[in-house]
Amino acid sequence: MTPFSRRNVLLALLAIAIAAPPFANFYHLFVANLVVIYVLLAIGLNILVGYAGQLAFANAAMFGIGAYATGLLQVQLGWSFWLAFPSGAFIAMAVGLAISLPALRLSGLYLALSTLAFAQATQWVFLHWESVTFGAGGFKTPPLSFAPLPITKPLGLYYLSLALSVGLFMFAQNLVASRVGRALVAVRDGEVAAESLGIDLLRYKALAFGVSGFYAGIAGGLYSALLNFVAPEGFDLFQMVLQKSMIVVGGLGSVAGAVLGAGIIIVLLEALRAFKGLQEIVFGGLLVIFVLFMRGGLVSVIKRHVRGWEEPLRLVQSTAAPAPEVIDTRPSVADR
Amino acid sequence: MSATLLSVRDVHITFGGVRVLEGIDLDASRGEIRGLIGPNGAGKTTLLNIICGIHRPQKGDVLLDGISIVGRKPSEIARLGLGRTFQASQMFGGMTVLENLIIGLHRRTSSGLLSAGLKLKRHRREEAEMEEAARRALAFVGMSELAERPATALSFGQQRVVEIARTLIGDPMIVLLDEPAVGLSANRLTELDGLLRRIRDQKGVTLILIEHAIRLVMDICDQVTVLSSGRRIADGTPLAIRNDRGVIEAYLGKDLRARHQAS
Repeated sequence: MTPFSRRNVLLALLAIAIAAPPFANFYHLFVANLVVIYVLLAIGLNILVGYAGQLAFANAAMFGIGAYATGLLQVQLGWSFWLAFPSGAFIAMAVGLAISLPALRLSGLYLALSTLAFAQATQWVFLHWESVTFGAGGFKTPPLSFAPLPITKPLGLYYLSLALSVGLFMFAQNLVASRVGRALVAVRDGEVAAESLGIDLLRYKALAFGVSGFYAGIAGGLYSALLNFVAPEGFDLFQMVLQKSMIVVGGLGSVAGAVLGAGIIIVLLEALRAFKGLQEIVFGGLLVIFVLFMRGGLVSVIKRHVRGWEEPLRLVQSTAAPAPEVIDTRPSVADR
Repeated sequence: MSATLLSVRDVHITFGGVRVLEGIDLDASRGEIRGLIGPNGAGKTTLLNIICGIHRPQKGDVLLDGISIVGRKPSEIARLGLGRTFQASQMFGGMTVLENLIIGLHRRTSSGLLSAGLKLKRHRREEAEMEEAARRALAFVGMSELAERPATALSFGQQRVVEIARTLIGDPMIVLLDEPAVGLSANRLTELDGLLRRIRDQKGVTLILIEHAIRLVMDICDQVTVLSSGRRIADGTPLAIRNDRGVIEAYLGKDLRARHQAS
């Protein structure tokens, strides 16, 4: 009935993502892995910005913290990747929770500025705490091995990233269509009304910052393993702009939109890599077009034209699914 | 369990040197509808904001069911069983009508990050119960057919009613209503009158009603408190208030009082 529903389209994309790598060359696999990592970043950021409405600019820093923590725990403390990676994600989450504390008092531009300042401070630490972070030159991470599994590192890392992305995509989808997701949207749409209904602003803002920090931390750990290298410039302001454009192009307040946005932006950036200079122009033009003419992002256009892309903020029970239709088809007052 | 549910005692508040409320007392008994009236600028909304925790009074106390609630967060006071609606529409624009109602159940439900994200069985059951309760509440206010509409697609009057339903669904002991009749047509006003009575009679909820539509106040309130320039100038039954000299003066001025009494 709805062959191009969100579920079907995403499942088709997933099928391609699973089946294609053995036929892809090294570079294509690298870009695909990058897309999957950015999907995580964009979903986390969209929960914070698109759902909870917190205009924060710290996601690039939390991405960096995840990457640095994963790398440094291996290099400085000799931990294995399999311990350092989840630890890095939880460290990024803790940082996210910590920066949510000032966020309760600040909103709009002031929140944007203070989180931007935090991101710059993080850069400074990466650059100047040389005894720990190795400074501007960055550092190499130990080679990752999937032994005893009979799989190469690029392929293994790709499937690990994909599995985590799919899992965390589903987690995010469940989350936004729940009591928690509705509380986040309520905080976004009206703080005073949300409080009058018993929704604790601090709790849900902190939750959004923590979740986005965790997603960014996971992405950071995977990124450090993908590059086998960690350096400060990967987590600068441009990184933040990149992530913000993903959710703007894909659609603010849409988990599926974050996936589309991440895919489009990364593929576009890579496609234009050959034409240095054009990259910035196309990128800037795209942003202007979306901000001016397509506020809801790509996903809002799809929702208007294709059935089955709605993202209700409640769990639609499989047995109760036909219920809305029953109501729609009831004779209206005029017919009775 | 005393008969008095809400008790405001000698509340004072100033904003930037302006005395907005000076020594206000107000009691509401269980199951009564108490009107709160007064000319513009009398301090009615400020008093509601103090009761629900948005403002903190410099002096005085507010007791809800015997517990002092001054200094608590609005969300905490809401969870104790105090609901409120606002003068301007406060629908959540990014949600459907049904979702707006479901969120009214927030304080009575408990699913957290993990049980929601992992879609645990307990969470699924809770969600199903919430949806059912929300559909029942929509039926209670006669708006079932609007469930799937975006909240912002409703008319102003409809948004008002949904907001009241959203507050009621959380099963509060008391609801503060800030000018629910603003902008309603005569027909809608009659519907609101009936709705407020049903809320009191069927649900036993205490209501505090700020309203300029005097006919509505006189019609449905058990008790009325009148504020003027930050002071309480009268308190009593609608009939007593109607004939109170001070009230008529505050509303109509001295000249018109004579004409009012002559008529």
